[in-house]
Amino acid sequence: MSDKLTIWQHASRLQPLLVLILMIVAMSLLSDRFLTAANGWNIMRQISVNVCLSIGMTMVILSGGIDLSVGSVLALAGAITAGLIKSAVPMPWLGVELQFTTWGAIVCGLIVGWFLGWFNGQMITRLKIPPFVATLGMLSIARGLTMLWTKGFPITGLGEGFAILGTRTALGAPTPVWIAAGLVGLFVVITKKTRLGRSIYAVGGNEQTARLSGLNVNRIKVIVYSLAGVLSAVAGLIMTSRLDSAQPNAGMGYELDSIAAVVIGGTSLSGGRGSVLGTVIGCLIIGVLNSGLVLLDVSPFWQQVVKGSVILVAVAIDRMRESGE
Amino acid sequence: MNRMPVFPRVIASIAVLLLVVTSGCGGNTSNTGTSPKSENLGTGNKPRRVAVIISTLNNPWFVVLGETARDRAIELGDEATLFDSQNDTAKEAAHFDNVIAAGYTAIIFNPTDADGSIANVKRAKEAGIPVFCIDREINSTDAATAQLLSDNYSGCVELGKYFVESVGEEGSYVELLGLVGDNNTWNRSKGFHSVVDRYPGLKMVAQQSADFDRNKAMEVMESILQSQDDLDAVFCGNDAMAMGAYQALLAAGKADQVRVFGYDGSDDVVTSISQGKIAATVMQYPKVMARTAAEYAHEYLANGKRDFEQKIPVNVDLVTRENIGDFTGFGRKE
Repeated sequence: MSDKLTIWQHASRLQPLLVLILMIVAMSLLSDRFLTAANGWNIMRQISVNVCLSIGMTMVILSGGIDLSVGSVLALAGAITAGLIKSAVPMPWLGVELQFTTWGAIVCGLIVGWFLGWFNGQMITRLKIPPFVATLGMLSIARGLTMLWTKGFPITGLGEGFAILGTRTALGAPTPVWIAAGLVGLFVVITKKTRLGRSIYAVGGNEQTARLSGLNVNRIKVIVYSLAGVLSAVAGLIMTSRLDSAQPNAGMGYELDSIAAVVIGGTSLSGGRGSVLGTVIGCLIIGVLNSGLVLLDVSPFWQQVVKGSVILVAVAIDRMRESGE
Repeated sequence: MNRMPVFPRVIASIAVLLLVVTSGCGGNTSNTGTSPKSENLGTGNKPRRVAVIISTLNNPWFVVLGETARDRAIELGDEATLFDSQNDTAKEAAHFDNVIAAGYTAIIFNPTDADGSIANVKRAKEAGIPVFCIDREINSTDAATAQLLSDNYSGCVELGKYFVESVGEEGSYVELLGLVGDNNTWNRSKGFHSVVDRYPGLKMVAQQSADFDRNKAMEVMESILQSQDDLDAVFCGNDAMAMGAYQALLAAGKADQVRVFGYDGSDDVVTSISQGKIAATVMQYPKVMARTAAEYAHEYLANGKRDFEQKIPVNVDLVTRENIGDFTGFGRKE
């Protein structure tokens, strides 16, 4: 009896995967160009940005929060890095100009991402601002800072060194895919095998219990939001490198794609249940859908309807399964 | 327990961030301020205050439009402030309320919506404030004092002719549309198709929207390239999408084989045309439109001029490899 239950539970975990396989089969039947190696790499490369964002989003949601600022943080980190590569920073009081190397600029972008995430964490834990509101504020602040930094103009022409991040291939796979895959591996291990990972699940499952059992809930939350900030920055760097340009309006609305990927992947919005791998499948589902609809030349009006419907259906299946358990 | 050390750290970190931001902007000090202090008394005794309300500052083209109008007004000795409607007609309505309440005396206006913005303009008119529309029109002939409009349709007719000339009468092409809810998207598309559709040998193999966005255009183009092996051309509804499409073609090794056409005349596309990367674009003149509007507002306020023409078309020009020497980003070389 209990054996049966675990098999059923295992099968239900695979539900997002089944949806993905179903979609791939359907797209392959509809278009003979869909199931090719080139298109496979194409989809993987396109979703790498969303994968980076969504790993962070998964951890935030697992901990019982939400992060609406990921798209703006992506834009600011990309813009700061691009700006620092492109031009020197004058230091009037020293009478010198600081010209960052490409790697130095990349590190600055990552630090900016970390800082904004850390700041989110502080607002949520110290000032007790609900995550939805705190990160909504950050969404606007980071976007505004991006506009100030770029003055509303894209920063283009970032050089060969920086192009490696987004446009090259290594060992047969595009670099963004390597970066995203590496991060997925790292965070699967962190969430499943480390104390921090177990603590994140505990905090999201029941914050009170976690606190009473001696976990430093605030510290864990700050870490989670900081990691989400860094991951958003990585996404911003990949995107900036791919475009060879930091766009002031980059990443607008990406928080929604990212939340959609997390939810489609079976992570519960109320926290404590879900996985990074599920999210990757969620990203793949969205990527397959985006690419497939264009390949089939579906009208742009219908594409939005179809995308919304798929999200609803995927989540409805998930909820049915949850209430069935 | 470690509450004390955190707050100093917060403040120190904020200080570090601000330091970086301000020193970064300091390299190229531009005028973000509003008004000149001198000669604000003019002829009319009351201060001349111009509000520049722009549909969005999320696109360099509109930034140029808005900042040029503001700067020209300040040059003429008027006070001027820039407002960003963020492509939202409701935000635009709020700007109008504030501007009317704050006692501005003229509005240079780039509407978010041809119909939705009419009510705003009428409210300003009732309050006795002249409104000068730039670039995008409103579908009303008795609300605005004057409308300086860029002719999207005929610009794309010219582009369509050049398209046929350079691609030939046979071939397959892709169209990338802008925001599908936007007038300009369809005016451009219709202008283009009014010419190109007369050649049955030119086949449109895909028509997709990329929201006027560079990244979206690159991704859509990458997907299209999976299904189309022998493309001859891409027509994009603005220059940002043209750059995105070019990026995708470059990555796929097809940049030499597929001609890319844009619309706007942004600086990166003008540079790309001179390097032979992009085939052509249509130059709209944001600076000309913006400067003229600021001058009209000044004439109205300072010299009491009232007889403006309702609709003033502002020319657009085809920019190709052949005449690229005459152009720079957002306008003609001076």
